[in-house]
Amino acid sequence: MKKIGIVLKKELYRVFSDKKLILSLFVLPAVLMFALYGLIGMLERNMSRDIETHVPVTYIVNATDGLKAAAAAAGFDKNASIDYLTEEAYLTLKDRLTEDIREGAADLIVILDKDFEKTFAAYQGQGDKIPGVGILFNSAENYSQQAYAVFSGVLETYRMMLLEQRLGNLEKIVAFAQRDTEIVKEGKANTQFIAMMFPYMIMIMLFSGAMSISVDAFAGEKERGTLASMLIAPVKRTDIAAGKVIALAIIAALSSVVYAVSMILSMTLMGNTISGGAGGFGGVSFNAGQVLELGLMLIVLDYLFVAVIAVLSSFSKDVKSASTLVTPVYMVVLACALMTMFSSGAKNSLTRYAVPLYGNALALQDICTGELSAQGFLVSFGVTALLAGLLTFLLAKIFDSDKLMFNA
Amino acid sequence: MISVQNLTKVYKLNARKMKELKTSEGRKIAVNDVSFEAKPGEIYGLLGPNGAGKTTTLRCIATLLKPTEGSVSVNGFDTVTEGEKVRGAIAFLTNEINLDPHFTPSYLFHFFGQLHGMTEEAIARRREELFSVFDIGGFADKKIDELSTGMKQKAAIAVTLVHDPQVVIFDEPTSGLDILTARTVTDYLRKLRDEGKTVIVSTHIMSEAEKLCDRIGIIIGGRKVSEGTLAQIYAGTGADDLEEAFFRLYKEYGEADA
Repeated sequence: MKKIGIVLKKELYRVFSDKKLILSLFVLPAVLMFALYGLIGMLERNMSRDIETHVPVTYIVNATDGLKAAAAAAGFDKNASIDYLTEEAYLTLKDRLTEDIREGAADLIVILDKDFEKTFAAYQGQGDKIPGVGILFNSAENYSQQAYAVFSGVLETYRMMLLEQRLGNLEKIVAFAQRDTEIVKEGKANTQFIAMMFPYMIMIMLFSGAMSISVDAFAGEKERGTLASMLIAPVKRTDIAAGKVIALAIIAALSSVVYAVSMILSMTLMGNTISGGAGGFGGVSFNAGQVLELGLMLIVLDYLFVAVIAVLSSFSKDVKSASTLVTPVYMVVLACALMTMFSSGAKNSLTRYAVPLYGNALALQDICTGELSAQGFLVSFGVTALLAGLLTFLLAKIFDSDKLMFNA
Repeated sequence: MISVQNLTKVYKLNARKMKELKTSEGRKIAVNDVSFEAKPGEIYGLLGPNGAGKTTTLRCIATLLKPTEGSVSVNGFDTVTEGEKVRGAIAFLTNEINLDPHFTPSYLFHFFGQLHGMTEEAIARRREELFSVFDIGGFADKKIDELSTGMKQKAAIAVTLVHDPQVVIFDEPTSGLDILTARTVTDYLRKLRDEGKTVIVSTHIMSEAEKLCDRIGIIIGGRKVSEGTLAQIYAGTGADDLEEAFFRLYKEYGEADA
């Protein structure tokens, strides 16, 4: 046991005394996250500000006084450049204006039927003519889409004005009032977004963190002949295996904590510009039980990842072939995490939690939504711990194999 | 005390290796029924051309390889069933096992001392002694990566000897070293022998074997073809120097293999 500690300490020192490794494992990811999300946030804010402040180029054909009043009431006339056209004028310009919309030079054309209000007033009963409004806009242009959305509000105001004129009292057309009350199971308050993304993000971060250091720590050391220097010391192979794997799991965990914290922080700093982003993380709340389950699950999963990579890397001749072996496993991890993103939320059977990787992703998701049963947790945790232990012994066996370690 | 009994080591070859060695046989006999003993207070030399099986034999003694047939014991411990005890009693130096270039000689000396279960005082005492013998002092806190080839080798020797082992196994310990460094190493091996340690070295340098070794085993094509003191080998081959003796043996045994 004491020798596991000696090996572990050396492996930790190996990383923490290497400035380049510290930079690439802990500093650069944080900087990258902040830079990336900061940039996305800035661009996003600029874009929405630009769209909001843009003066929409609008043409209104056969405008009525009522519509103008509605536009004034909605404040649309102050923020837009509006050209009021007669139908004759519009017909001569029609082709050019349509082209302008297509090219983004104009944002909106609103065409009221000729004698709009007269037709409205003349309405007596079913079968009579109903006046119409045609709107031309370009859904591929942000400005045009925004103008369309804002003008829809103007039309709604206009509609209400006209209806009030006709009916006198608008309550006549209100059939019932709707009252919504949300009932949410405590703990499941963590939004759909986070529950969907959580296992995926966690598994990617843990695995990639483990991969970046573990391949070199086993295949690299084997290739350089430094692993053998430990194999001729009077230490049990299992002690070397466990010491190395625990140390690397600690480093991988720290590295993913840096990733996660910098991601959450930068998303929060970025503000709520991306829907669900900061809001989703801001809304997360875990109770003590969930935190404990989550912590234990992450520790055992992290160890499993490092152990898997360690076995494959020690099995390989060099770093290159180790990477080739590890990449498909990474894909399997990604696939397992992805599969949980699109689950329906139906209760999971215990056997599902027993499937390595997929069961872990499921368990992580259910911890997040507060739906993981104690049995479910124990099954997933137990299977993972067992597998991680078996892999450590397998790693020790590989260390003991002269064929695998020394090409004998 | 090292005892090698009827040691045979067969490598299984994969397709790529078979192509490299231009053979259609799926196995290569690296060591073929070799027996010898190296006793405390002597330097035993394994002499042979490249690929004769010297390194394979030493690796079997150091527990890194398992004999296909036969057995090896060190100080009475079997290398397969009591590997950890054997590793506690030996120092093993070979070209393919390297110190991690990221660490300093000081750090690794301390690390391996701890792995051997030594106390802090014992490590410090050994460090002072060995670093002064091999003149490492000024380089003790520099990364291995930054050291010259000779200094790297001296650091590696010091680190392997941290636990003052009873049995010292050095595979071509002077290869790649300049004449001064090589001399420091061979002098220290003599000192170890005089202290009653069992020392075994492999070499393909005749002059080194002549000067350094008390007894020599000559290996050709995986088989031990001659063994004894210089005088015994000369008498057996009718030669009057080691080089001549070696060529005669090679003519007799090697060409059949080649």
